[in-house]
Amino acid sequence: MAITSHDPIPTAQLDGAVKDYSRDKVYVLTALFLAALTVVEVLTYAFPDFPAWSGNLVIVVLMLLMAIKFFTVVHIFMHLRFDKPILTWIFWAGVVLAGGVYFAALCTFRIFWPGSHG
Amino acid sequence: MAIIEAPSSDQLALPSGAVVSDHKPTGAFTRPSSGATGWKSWLTTVDHKKIGIMYGATALVFLLIGGFEAILIRVQLWSPRGTLLSANTYNQVFTMHGTTMVFLVVMPIGAAFANYLMPLQIGARDVAYPRINAYSYWMYLFGGIFLNTSWLLGGGADGGWFNYAPNNGILYSPSHGIDFWNMGLLITGIASLAGAVNLIVTVLNMRAPGMSLMRMPIFTWMTLVTQFLLLFAIPVLTVAQVLLMMDRTFDANFFNVAKGANPLLWEHLFWIFGHPEVYLMILPAFGLVSDMLPVFSRKPIFGYPFIVFSGVAIGFMGWGVWAHHMFVSGIGPISVTAFSLTTMFIAVPTGVKILNWTATMWGGKLQFTAPMLFSIGLVTMFTIGGLSGVTHSVAPADTQQTDTYYIVAHFHYVLFGGAFFGFIGGFYFYWSKVFGYMLNEKVGKANFWLMLLGFNLTFAPMHILGLQGMSRRIYTYDAGYGFDLWNKVATVGAFVLASSVFLFIFNIFYSRSKAKSMPPVSADPWDARTIEWMIPSPVPEYNFDPIPTVTRVDDFWYRKYGETNDGKLVRIAETDDVIQKLSDGKHIHLPSPSYWPIVSAFGMPIIGYGLIFNLWLCLIGGIIVVGGIYGWALEPADDPDAAHDDHDPADHGPDDDSAAAAITEGADAGDIATEKEPETVG
Amino acid sequence: MANAVQAHESVAQADAHAPHAHIQHDTNTGISNTKLGMWLFLASECLLFGGLITTYLLYKHPLEGPTPKEIFDIPFTSTSSFVLLMSSLTMVLAVSAIERGDHQRLRIWLGATALLGATFISGQIYEFTVFVREGLGFTTSRFSSAFYTLTGFHGVHVTVGIVMLMSLVLLSLRGKLPEHRAETVEIVGLYWHFVDVVWIFIFAVVYLIP
Repeated sequence: MAITSHDPIPTAQLDGAVKDYSRDKVYVLTALFLAALTVVEVLTYAFPDFPAWSGNLVIVVLMLLMAIKFFTVVHIFMHLRFDKPILTWIFWAGVVLAGGVYFAALCTFRIFWPGSHG
Repeated sequence: MAIIEAPSSDQLALPSGAVVSDHKPTGAFTRPSSGATGWKSWLTTVDHKKIGIMYGATALVFLLIGGFEAILIRVQLWSPRGTLLSANTYNQVFTMHGTTMVFLVVMPIGAAFANYLMPLQIGARDVAYPRINAYSYWMYLFGGIFLNTSWLLGGGADGGWFNYAPNNGILYSPSHGIDFWNMGLLITGIASLAGAVNLIVTVLNMRAPGMSLMRMPIFTWMTLVTQFLLLFAIPVLTVAQVLLMMDRTFDANFFNVAKGANPLLWEHLFWIFGHPEVYLMILPAFGLVSDMLPVFSRKPIFGYPFIVFSGVAIGFMGWGVWAHHMFVSGIGPISVTAFSLTTMFIAVPTGVKILNWTATMWGGKLQFTAPMLFSIGLVTMFTIGGLSGVTHSVAPADTQQTDTYYIVAHFHYVLFGGAFFGFIGGFYFYWSKVFGYMLNEKVGKANFWLMLLGFNLTFAPMHILGLQGMSRRIYTYDAGYGFDLWNKVATVGAFVLASSVFLFIFNIFYSRSKAKSMPPVSADPWDARTIEWMIPSPVPEYNFDPIPTVTRVDDFWYRKYGETNDGKLVRIAETDDVIQKLSDGKHIHLPSPSYWPIVSAFGMPIIGYGLIFNLWLCLIGGIIVVGGIYGWALEPADDPDAAHDDHDPADHGPDDDSAAAAITEGADAGDIATEKEPETVG
Repeated sequence: MANAVQAHESVAQADAHAPHAHIQHDTNTGISNTKLGMWLFLASECLLFGGLITTYLLYKHPLEGPTPKEIFDIPFTSTSSFVLLMSSLTMVLAVSAIERGDHQRLRIWLGATALLGATFISGQIYEFTVFVREGLGFTTSRFSSAFYTLTGFHGVHVTVGIVMLMSLVLLSLRGKLPEHRAETVEIVGLYWHFVDVVWIFIFAVVYLIP
C-alpha cells in the first residue's frame, strides 16, 4: 500500500485494465484513424458518383464506416478492449437490444421498402 | 457509496511511520447526524431497510386509492345504464386505476422487496449507492403525488393506461390530465432507472464471500433480471413520453396525423416498454414464491438452474413479443405471424417455472401456512392467467378478444392473481423479519381464502363477459345483452376483494397489539433456508455481524441440517446456535444520512407543474434540482462523527475515496435529471 | 519520505497525502461501483437515443417545408463533427495525464475537451438559427420536430458533459483531484465518449445517408 505520489501508480490498478498498454501513442494513432474515416465519410458527400459508393451502395459504405468508428471509440477510448469483459457484455447488450428492437419496429413500418415512408 | 468496513489503522501509515491525520474529506456541508430518531430520521435516511419499508407503505396507500377507483368502476357497472359516473369521469377513473396499480403499486412493492431483501439475501451492508436509493424513493413518492394531484387540478388522464395516440393529443384530450400522467410517469421513470442501476451494481458487486451468482437466492436472481428489464425498458417509455410532451406542450408533430405522423409509433414505443414491463412486474413475485415454496415443502427448489435460467429467458424473450398487443392495428400479416410465434414460445420458460414449483411441492412435507397458501394461490391463478394469455398469441382468436373484458380478466389473473398474491404472501412471510412480530396466522389464512374468493368472483366472470362481446372501457351497457348477471357477480366480488385487503390491514394492527404480550419473535420462525434468516428480527441497522461466508445454495439450511447417506434429513445444529447474535455493531461503519436526495427530488414535480402551468416554475424547480445535486456532490461522503465508531477519527481518511465517487454519482443523477428537463431540449 | 512529501509543487498534489487504500476495488467483479453504474447507465442510454433515432428515420421525409437534403449544410456539420471527435482524443489524454500524476496536463486537456465541446454546441446553435431562418421551425413538419428533438437531446447531453468537465477542472484547481481519484476523470470520460459515439451514429444516419 505504500505508494508515494512520485511513483507512477500501475495503470492496471487505476482503471481496472486487465493488461497494461502504451496509452498516449495508441490514443493519437486511434484519433488519426478516426479522422481518416471521417474524411472518407465526407468524400461520399463531395463525390457522390465515385464508383465505390455510387447509388444505394453509399448507405452500406457509410453504415460500415460508422460501425468501425463506433467500435473504435468504444473499445479504445472507452477502453473496453482492455477492461473487464462484463462491461463489454453490459454495453453491447444495450446496443444490440436497441438495434434489434428498433430495427424490428422500423420493419413493421416497412420503411426499408421503396415507396413506403411511414 | 460502498460501505467500507472501518479499516485498521496500519493501512493509513505512511512509509515513514507517521499516521496521516491532517486529511480533510471533500465537502462543503455537514451531513445530518446518523443518531437521529423519529420522523426526521426517515426523511434523511439512506438505509436500504427503511427505504424498503417506505416503498411498501407508500405502495399500500396508493393501493387503497387505486382500489377505491376500482370499486367506483364496479359500482358504475352494477346494472345497465349506471349513473354513478359520467362517461368522462369513468374514463379518468379507469385510466388512473390502471396507472396507479401498475406504476404506483405493483412496481413499487417489487422495489420494496428488492430494497429490503436483496441486500440481506446477498449478505451486503447496504446497496451500492445509498443516497441514490433514497433519491429513487423520493422521486417515486413525489411522482405519485404529482400524478394524483391531477384530480384536484382539472381531472385525471382519460386515455387508458396506455394512452394511445392520437387520442392522447390536445385535440382529443384537452384537459391537463394526460400532461399530469406524462410528467408523473417521467418522474417515476427516473426513480426506476436510478433504482435499476443501483440494484444491479449491488447484486454484481456486493455479494458476501462465497456468494457466487449461482448460489444466490432466487428472489435475488429475479431482482437482477427485473432491474435489467427496467434499465432497458424505462428509456423507451421516456422517449415516447418526451415525444408526447413535445406534442402537447410545444406543438410538435410526432402524433399529428395532419402533418403525416404515424400514431402507430406511440403504440410501438409504448409496448416495446410495456411488454418487458409486465414481466418485470411478475418476476419479483416469482422470486418470492420460489423462496417460499421450498421452505414450506421442506425440500430444496426443484431444478435451481432451470428456474434461474427460465427467469433470464423470460427477460430476454420479453423483448420480442411486444407487437402482440397490436394485432388489430394493421401491422401486416408478416409482423403478426412473427409476433404470434414469439408469443407462443415465451410460454415455454413460464411453463418451466410452473413445473418446477409443482415438482418442488411434490413429495414434500407441505405446511399450509398463510405464505404457503398465497404461494400456491399464485401458482394456480397465474396458470389460469397464463393460459388465457396463450390464447392471445393465436392472432385470429386475439382479434376477437382485443379490447374486450376477456383481456381485462387475463391481465388481472396474472397481475393480481400472480404478482399481488405473491407479494401478500411475501408480506406474511417476511413480516417478522422486518417488524419483529408475526402476522396472525389464523387471520392470514382467512385473509387468503377471502381474497381467493373475492378475486375469482370479480375476474372469472369477466372471461365470459368478454367472450359475450362486452368491450372494456365502456362506461355503461344496455339491458338485454346478457351482461347483467356477470357484472353483478363481479361487483359483489370486488367488494369481497376489498374487504380482504382491509382484513390484511386489520391483521397488521391486530397482530401488533397482540405481539406486545408475546415473547419476541425468533430470528428463524419458519425454519427457513436462505441467509437473511440468520439475522435477528427485526434486522439490526448493520445487517450482518459478521458477514457470513456462503458455501452453497440455501446456505443457512445446510448450517442446520445435513443428509445421511440414504438422503434422509438430519439436524446437525440447533437454530439458536447458527443464527447471529445481536451485537452492538460499533465497529461497523455505515453510510451517513443525507438531506440532498429529498431536496433534489423535490424539484422535479415543480418542473412538472411548470411545464403544465407556467414555464417560470420550471426555472425554480430546475434551480432546486441543480442545487440539490451540487449539494449532494459536495457533501462529505460520511459524517465524521458518525455514531458507529469508537476509533480514532483519522480512520475516516480512506472513506474520502467515496467523495470522488459521489461527484460522478451526483453527476449521473444530474444527467438523468437534466435530460428530462424539457425546456432545455430542442 | 518527509522530504519527498514537501517536494510537491502543485497545489493539486497536496491531496496526495490521502491514503491510497482503495485503489484496488473491493468488489466481486473487481470493478468499482461507480464505473459499473456508469456503464449500465450508458447501456440504458442506447435505448433512449435508439428511440429518438427511430422516430427520426420514420419521419425524415416531410410532407411540407424544407427537406433534409435542401437544408443540411454538410461541410459545416462535418467540421463540427470533427471537432467533437477530436474532443474524445483530448479526453483520453486527460485521463492518461492524471494516471501519470500530471495535474497540469490534466487541467489543460480537460479544458481543451470542454472548449471543443463548447465549440460543437455553438455550431449546433448556429445551425439551428440558420435552419429556423430558412423556414424550418420546430413545428413546421414531422421532419423538423424529429430532427430538433433528436439533435437537441444530444446537445443537452453534451452540455451536461461540459458542466461535468468544468467541475472537474475546478476540483483539480482546488487540489481535490489526486491520482487515486483518477477514476472520477475516467468515468466522466466514459460519458463524454458515449456522447461522441452517439454523434458518430447521428452524423452518418441523419446527415450523410441521402
